Amino acid sequence: MNESERNIYYLRGIPVPETPPPGKDPSPWKKTDIVGTSIPRVDAYERVSGTALYPSDIRLPRMLYAAVLRCPHPHAEVMNVDTSAAEGMPGVRAVISGKTSDTDFAWWYSKEIKTKIFDPLCRFEGEEVAAVAAETAYQAWDAVRAITVEYKVLPFIAEESKSLDSSSPLLHPNGNTAKTDKYSRGDVGAGFSEADVVLDETYRTECELHMPMELHGCVASWDNDRLTIWESAQGVYSIQSRIAEILGLPLSKVRVIGHYMGGGFGSKLQPGKYTVIASLLAKKTGRPVRLFLTREETFLAVGNRPPAIMQLKAGVKKDGTLTALEFSCIATGGAYPANGTSLVDWLVRDLYLCPNVKTETKDVYINAGPSRPFRAPGHPQAAWALEQMMDALAEKIGMDPIELRLKNIPSFSQGREGNPPYTTTGLRECLSEGARAFGWEQARKRSSGSKENGHVKRGVGVASGLWFAGGGNPPSTAVVKLFSDGSVNLNMGASDIGTGTKTVMTMIVSEELGVKPEMVQIEYADTATTQYATPSGGSKTVPTEGPAVRAAALSVKQQLLSFAAADLKTDDSSLTLRGDEVISMKDPLVKVKIHDVTGLRKRGVIVGVGYRGPNPERKVVNPFAAQFCEVEVNTMTGEVRIVRFLGCHDSGRVMNRLTYDNQVFGGITMGIGLAMTEARILDRDQTGKMVNRNLHDYKLPTSLDVPKEMKSLPIEKPDDTANTIGAKGLGEPVTIPTAAAVANAVYHAVGVRMTGTPITPLQLCQALEKDGKERSK
Amino acid sequence: MTPGFSYRRAASIKDAVTGLSEGNGRILAGGTDLLGCLRDSVFTTDMVVSITGIKELKRIDETPGGGLSIGALATITEVSENPVIRERYPALAQAAAEVASPQLRNQGTLGGNLCQKPRCWYYRGEFHCLRKGGDRCYAVAGENHYHCIFGGKGCYIVHPSDTAPALIAYGAEATIAGPAGMRKVSLENFFVPPAKDVTKETVLEAGEIVTAIVLPPPLAGLKSFYRKIRSRQSWDFALAGVALAIRTSNGRVTDARIVLSGAAPIPWRLVDAEKALIGKVAGPDSAKHTAALSIKDAQPLKHNAYKIPLFKGMIEEEVANISQA
Ligand SMILES: Cc1cc2nc3c(=O)[nH]c(=O)nc-3n(C[C@H](O)[C@H](O)[C@H](O)COP(=O)(O)OP(=O)(O)OC[C@H]3O[C@@H](n4cnc5c(N)ncnc54)[C@H](O)[C@@H]3O)c2cc1C
Ligand code: SF4
Repeated sequence: MNESERNIYYLRGIPVPETPPPGKDPSPWKKTDIVGTSIPRVDAYERVSGTALYPSDIRLPRMLYAAVLRCPHPHAEVMNVDTSAAEGMPGVRAVISGKTSDTDFAWWYSKEIKTKIFDPLCRFEGEEVAAVAAETAYQAWDAVRAITVEYKVLPFIAEESKSLDSSSPLLHPNGNTAKTDKYSRGDVGAGFSEADVVLDETYRTECELHMPMELHGCVASWDNDRLTIWESAQGVYSIQSRIAEILGLPLSKVRVIGHYMGGGFGSKLQPGKYTVIASLLAKKTGRPVRLFLTREETFLAVGNRPPAIMQLKAGVKKDGTLTALEFSCIATGGAYPANGTSLVDWLVRDLYLCPNVKTETKDVYINAGPSRPFRAPGHPQAAWALEQMMDALAEKIGMDPIELRLKNIPSFSQGREGNPPYTTTGLRECLSEGARAFGWEQARKRSSGSKENGHVKRGVGVASGLWFAGGGNPPSTAVVKLFSDGSVNLNMGASDIGTGTKTVMTMIVSEELGVKPEMVQIEYADTATTQYATPSGGSKTVPTEGPAVRAAALSVKQQLLSFAAADLKTDDSSLTLRGDEVISMKDPLVKVKIHDVTGLRKRGVIVGVGYRGPNPERKVVNPFAAQFCEVEVNTMTGEVRIVRFLGCHDSGRVMNRLTYDNQVFGGITMGIGLAMTEARILDRDQTGKMVNRNLHDYKLPTSLDVPKEMKSLPIEKPDDTANTIGAKGLGEPVTIPTAAAVANAVYHAVGVRMTGTPITPLQLCQALEKDGKERSK
Repeated sequence: MTPGFSYRRAASIKDAVTGLSEGNGRILAGGTDLLGCLRDSVFTTDMVVSITGIKELKRIDETPGGGLSIGALATITEVSENPVIRERYPALAQAAAEVASPQLRNQGTLGGNLCQKPRCWYYRGEFHCLRKGGDRCYAVAGENHYHCIFGGKGCYIVHPSDTAPALIAYGAEATIAGPAGMRKVSLENFFVPPAKDVTKETVLEAGEIVTAIVLPPPLAGLKSFYRKIRSRQSWDFALAGVALAIRTSNGRVTDARIVLSGAAPIPWRLVDAEKALIGKVAGPDSAKHTAALSIKDAQPLKHNAYKIPLFKGMIEEEVANISQA
């Protein structure tokens, strides 16, 4: 067998897209062979078999275990910490607290207010007071229990509605308002006087906790002056920069590795105090230190979706024209400035055509854990209010709720200065094609006639949404290496937070280079060895990293063609890559096998670097959504069963239908949690402590709480203006309309408006009883 | 993390009883409740006595009189799947199937289910309340959404077990072994209301263990059912639950037992409502009447008044259903 016949190439031998000249953007993909197909995750085997090493699996030689002593009161001053007993306990290697000089570093939840790692004033239950490193986790916890602390317990605030009362204690010297934002366009007064119907309602969404499967934490290890951190994180570079800043280290001396990770939902975009504490204990002991929180600690100290009280007044004409929207909101990011009202008015400003809009949001302090971004910050809350209001308006003017929405679809972003157009909007199709696929009309009629079916009633509901971001943005750098056998190495700094990033990026490389997906190896999420990337949040990883990866693959192709052109003594613009060879488009006899290309043989590798280019100017890239659901309500007990759900989403090009549907179903499941089961409960009238800090009292939905019938219908409109892969974000829009769709379906079934989450028998059977009494009057 | 303790695996019932009387021993069966309590420092112990090696406690046997004896170590899954229980004591099988989650049902035992500690979140949390020997009940002025509407006095827990109401509806009896030998207690009298002793949940004395639950033969023609309502569909205790056992003759009710879960500190038998049902035509009217009567003595706390329409709706629905069945 001669050499050229040996199957040494890992190529598929199918045509690949054209190669643009260097420096030029590629044209949009027309027909794709890999992108858009349903490929199982490239790391599915590792994840399912358990060979994948998550940061919490890391066990280093000589590693110590750390545990943290946390303030048991929502508001207290630490008067004295006595660690002497703990220090003498078996296995204990270090104890640190606000009293030890080596812990004097600043910490901030957002830059306005700086505190210390162990601050003497604890403003929420669970603030860090001291920490121990010991040979075993048990020894560390025994030592934590042996530390005695003298607290001066202070009065607390547990409800945002009471934060601004004059009798409430102050959390910070400048008062309890963290932030007030105002927005206005047009004249709402005039708008309301034009309206045929004006409605006003107050809504409330409860505080939700992220609860990712993998706990928050890290392993920290020093090698002389270099710190290495393995952290469960949504982005390694954001951990690196914050830790370097806090500890005063050069970026080059902080290496963060975060390969596999078990979920974050926004709560792992940044490091925690735990990262700093592990680093300090590792420094002090000269040994690696593992600090992963217990589940109970994560209920208190690693973020939440802020609870919100929202008032919305809306005016509509009989023909369905919205005339005015007036929205105000009090929410709380907890005990520190932490964006408690972030984007909570955005849907009111932007989702529907409306000339007159006024919003005011107030973020106030309470003595509870600071919030962190939570999947689509602000949006599910706003949708809960706005989408229920749209439903109520439609009913009042005798219009179908979908028709009302279709009457008010904007093609440009009204909430932004100058009304810039959206690159694409599929909101209309999400609603109309979704309605068709769901069988909306029939279901609506069928269930509104369900009064005869005894005391169990059916109802259907719809809600829509858009996501403020989701277009991705620079910077991102990716590197693709082509080896002489045709196999490829992709190097990128982004994490795969469980969404399938590695799979989608592999598909892009595969598409461009014609290489089998299994021949692409990815190096990722390591600040020492992979390229700079921003953390995975804002539904931006695919539209941010994808174009950079495509550009890197194209650069490889360009270099390969130019090396081949030298061999073939022709012009590289006449050449194309096909299977395992570079061939002339003019003369098929002019060709060379890849491994014979001299330039590649000499170097052994071709390295292509790709950068994420800028977004289109004066245009807005947003994903859009509509979701539909059917429920069954037992009017005697207030039990709600969700019968089926349809998620209809415009997120541009569908990169991989499997990972796409995973997001849709995951988002709906999370939205069902907001709608039906989840709420943080503080002992508001007595101690201010959280009472449901475990996984059976804090109720995440289980597989029996989500419907068997969940469907996803992508509205696929590749967005060629947005970026070179035509994809928009998906991870967050999928959870925006869900809760509101459930509430609307419940209303349709029983005629009772549930303005507060979660809709459990606790609320509903009382509301039904009240409604029944009113009706029988 | 759990503070330290000694561990002993008992070879026999006698051995277990001896082990328990040394120090403040605690029995370990499936451990699903015990380990949580220890980890959360609800109580401490210096001796954990495992009874899992005692084979005779695992048996489910028919008794000579036509009843059934269920060993304390029978798992909740075994109780829910046992063909005899499913056929003759369906409410018990249904109640067992509604307990917790599949993993917990595989690991948890019937004895442990009856002897589990209450789920009041103050009791389970860092609150030194009355039941733990403290001086106040935090539920009175606190977050009492899940607390009781009947039988609260000093303490306002609800009894957490789903199987207990069903067992009481069938008139089951607990067999207890202790330092002084064996004794039998009807399950209805097994649980201790706070009015009697706020620090105890069962009549078990130091060193006593439950060895078996004995069910009398089922009454001919008895219809029975367990219904549970909760805020999520798995892995959740009852917001409201009811075990119903009704016998009718010529359309009229001759025997009735109605026992509630999620209502009171002990499984709550509605004796008045039962009496009122007897002699009535089973149907929607008597269901309505029974439901109204069931809640007449309810004393809700600040956040749990919803339980009144909830229990009313559930009892009405179930009494009507069972009379049609
Ligand atoms: C998250 C969660 C959810 C749950 N949900 C439900 C629910 O919905 N409905 C429900 O009914 N239950 C529920 N449970 C309770 C569960 O059913 C019990 O934990 C289980 O049945 C206890 O059995 P075990 O064998 O594991 O008991 P263990 O944990 O071993 O023991 C429990 C207690 O009983 C004592 N004990 C055990 N066996 C005996 C005996 N033979 N004699 C005397 N004392 C004994 C132990 O000392 C201990 O104090 C839930 C539990 C958890 C953790
Ligand atoms: S209800 Fe009982 S267990 Fe709960 S706080 Fe009150 S005394 Fe303690």
